[in-house]
Amino acid sequence: MATEDMWSVLEDCVKKINDNTAHPENFLSLQDGAAADFTTLTKLLYDLHKTEEPAEYKGSPLVQLVVENFDEEQIWQELELQNNAVMTHFENATNEALSDEKLSVLVEEEDDEENSVEAEGETHDDDDEEEEEEENDDDDDDDDEPPKQSKRMAQDEDGAEGYTDEDSDLDFDVDALEKREKQKKEIGRKGSRPKVVPSEVDDTFFKLSEMESFLDDMDKREGKEDENENELDYFQDLPSDDDDDLDLNDILSAKKKKKIIAKSSRNLKYKDFFDAVDREPGGDEDHSDGEEDNKDKSWQEGGEEIDEEADDYDGEEESDKHIWLMSKVTFNLNEDSEGEDLADIFGGKTPSSAISAVKSSFEKRQEKMSEKIEELEKTALADKPWQLSGEITSQSRPENSMLEEDVEFEQTGRMAPSITAETTLQLEDIIKQRIKDQAFDDVVRKEKPKEEVFDYKKKLALDHEKSKQSLAEIYEQEYLKQNQQKTEEEENSAHVEIQKLMDTLFLKLDALSNFHFTPKPPVPEVKVVSNLPSVTMEEVAPVSASDAMLLAPEEIKEKNKAGDILGDTEKTSTDKMRDRRHKKTVKRIKIKEKEKRQKLKEASGTGENRKLSKAEVAENLKKLTKGGKTKILKDEGKDKALRSSQAFFSELQDQVKSQIKSAKDPSSKKKKHKEVSVSKLKL
Amino acid sequence: PAMDTDKTTLPVAAADGPEDAGSFTTVKSKKSQKRKREAGGADMETEGPGAPKRPQFPAISSDKLRGPDEMRKVSVPAHRYTPLKENWLKIFTPIVENLQLQVRFNLKTRNVEIKTCKETQDIGSLTKASDFVKAFVLGFQVEDALALIRLDELFLESFDVTDVKPLKGDHLSRAIGRIAGKGGKTKFTIENVTKTRIVLAETKVHILGSFQNIKMARTAICNLILGSPPSKVYGNIRVVASRTAERF
Repeated sequence: MATEDMWSVLEDCVKKINDNTAHPENFLSLQDGAAADFTTLTKLLYDLHKTEEPAEYKGSPLVQLVVENFDEEQIWQELELQNNAVMTHFENATNEALSDEKLSVLVEEEDDEENSVEAEGETHDDDDEEEEEEENDDDDDDDDEPPKQSKRMAQDEDGAEGYTDEDSDLDFDVDALEKREKQKKEIGRKGSRPKVVPSEVDDTFFKLSEMESFLDDMDKREGKEDENENELDYFQDLPSDDDDDLDLNDILSAKKKKKIIAKSSRNLKYKDFFDAVDREPGGDEDHSDGEEDNKDKSWQEGGEEIDEEADDYDGEEESDKHIWLMSKVTFNLNEDSEGEDLADIFGGKTPSSAISAVKSSFEKRQEKMSEKIEELEKTALADKPWQLSGEITSQSRPENSMLEEDVEFEQTGRMAPSITAETTLQLEDIIKQRIKDQAFDDVVRKEKPKEEVFDYKKKLALDHEKSKQSLAEIYEQEYLKQNQQKTEEEENSAHVEIQKLMDTLFLKLDALSNFHFTPKPPVPEVKVVSNLPSVTMEEVAPVSASDAMLLAPEEIKEKNKAGDILGDTEKTSTDKMRDRRHKKTVKRIKIKEKEKRQKLKEASGTGENRKLSKAEVAENLKKLTKGGKTKILKDEGKDKALRSSQAFFSELQDQVKSQIKSAKDPSSKKKKHKEVSVSKLKL
Repeated sequence: PAMDTDKTTLPVAAADGPEDAGSFTTVKSKKSQKRKREAGGADMETEGPGAPKRPQFPAISSDKLRGPDEMRKVSVPAHRYTPLKENWLKIFTPIVENLQLQVRFNLKTRNVEIKTCKETQDIGSLTKASDFVKAFVLGFQVEDALALIRLDELFLESFDVTDVKPLKGDHLSRAIGRIAGKGGKTKFTIENVTKTRIVLAETKVHILGSFQNIKMARTAICNLILGSPPSKVYGNIRVVASRTAERF
């Protein structure tokens, strides 16, 4: 391979890139020239790479990157083809590198050394790296890999550009591997690579971007700590706040990824709290003490769950191994050691010695057992999950967590029938059968029953035709009817009562159950009401009160069709005239009828010799005296005289005496008028 | 033809006993002599103290009770001759089978003769049978007249139109027309409402039915004769009929 040629080509490319990206503010507007440059660069590199590709790579079938008249998407897809093809190869390579125990990372090495180590460990081709770098360049427009970008930019400051990309690439691969191995690892870990953006407020101790990233982290942590509020890691050394800052500082240095382990409080030093003042914020002394190595908080949550750590112990070991390869910090001690002793022990030991020795199978088993034990202890001591903690409201459990639960409860009501294919088939069968039988459940039209007014007196219907039945049959039917009535009356009264009760019961049941229930039409009942004052009907004790009769006044006396009955003073003249006319007509008719009868009688009678009835006699008398022409002689007090002869004669005697007196007496000539007359005496 | 009445042979009154070896002889007054039936047995009144042996007569069987067979005759006018012939079967069947009588039609005298016989259980059935035939002869249908046999309380009344009101000539005809009505409508109406049968034979009116119903029908017919319109008569009989119907 003409590496020198390649090298020169690559240098040219790099230079071009630098030129184009020197002024990032240009990219705010559309830069066609730069885009074209980048496209040609990509093509160049791709072709270069392809020619240098070793046989076993099995890259994409495209020998050359076709860029004419292709837009970005298509170019990207071509690249992706190549990438996917060689991905497996890279994975294998990295696996080999990881599993290679012989590799070791020295803590005190500078970035360059790290990089060189890494370079040794890797089997990447420079071409590949740079190709990927080019690909990254192509993706200027999108932000798919911010960490890579950030790293790149951070390391651009340092000037070690080529290798920083390696870091970023490695990080990417390692991360992917980690993810695959540890499923429980949270993604947040990876993503919390801080960005260092220089701002005006920064000085040796304080960085604005640091603070912001720290705050973000804390926010995230708080969000997770809410779940594990009450959880105490009894076996964990309490980290101090300063440690966090210190850790962040370490992170931000970006040259080394420090793993920060919670130190025991006995062994803390200034270095642990504060950054070395004279150093660049970016650079950092090595924390050569293996014991004092701090764990990278970004890889581990602050108040970390013990179980997670326990679970991830193995995985973390692996990840720690990865991390060493990158940084000079040695190893990632687990905090959930079973006691302080263990921490001390681990702290005392050199990490490298502890891990570099190959563990025997017994030790491995023991480790696993202890893990399990720790896990069990953790769960036993920890708070119960919300599922087991009795009554719980929606505020106390995570959102939508009930959806993931399989809840068991008894249902007292009938469940709605579940519709399955079987039920549909059953239904269809039923439907078909019904159609065959023509047994439809049609709704029958309801007709309102005609209310037949109960005729209290049924009017006889007149039949004008000769009766079909003979007289004998008619009487026969009557006789039978009478007999039937007699037999009906002989029914058992108990039966009748039972029948009545059953009728009411069935009516109620029908009302409840029958879908097409129609209530019975109301039958007019005959009720005998006696017209007594209602008080007497209701109460036994006599109370002087209401005279309310049970019958309404209209029921006692029928209302006059004409309206109110008017008294004499209330009548108007028309009413009076009306009454008068009515009276006259009535009278007229009466008289006429009378006359008629009279005439008839006279006509049918024997003539004048007939005997007149008393009434007729009185009638005649009246007629005669009406005219005034005749006069009725009446007995006026003299009757008594006629009753006995003695009385009569004494009366006569008295009268004669008085006459004589009057005759004798000259003054009493007046009395001469009084005469005794025969007519008066009625002799 | 006179009706033969039952002749009962009267037994001689048993003599009261001068068999008494008594102190005094009783004077038999004529009053005390009663005509007694032999069938009654000896139910004698003795005025004397210590009735001696009474004659004991054994109970008589019903066969001996029966007297000679009785007979009724019903004459048939000429206009009923053919109907009689047509319905003869229907006439004699119930008489013979149900009433156990003997019946024949005497062609010479044109009489229906009914006679009792041995099988006759009830002596009153003879009257029934004769009434039945009489009703038929008057003009009633056989089925209607049959009711006379079946029911005891049915009667037959006849009266003349002129009895109600002396009418002559056209008035009479009109009266008869009023009774009959158009197509016999009025007559049928009265029949249906009052449950009677009416036969209108020129000026004679015959009514067959129970006593109350005959009265109702008679009132109605008399009203018609006297001149009231049929509608009025209908109203009246309807009222009366419903009242009587309610009572039962």
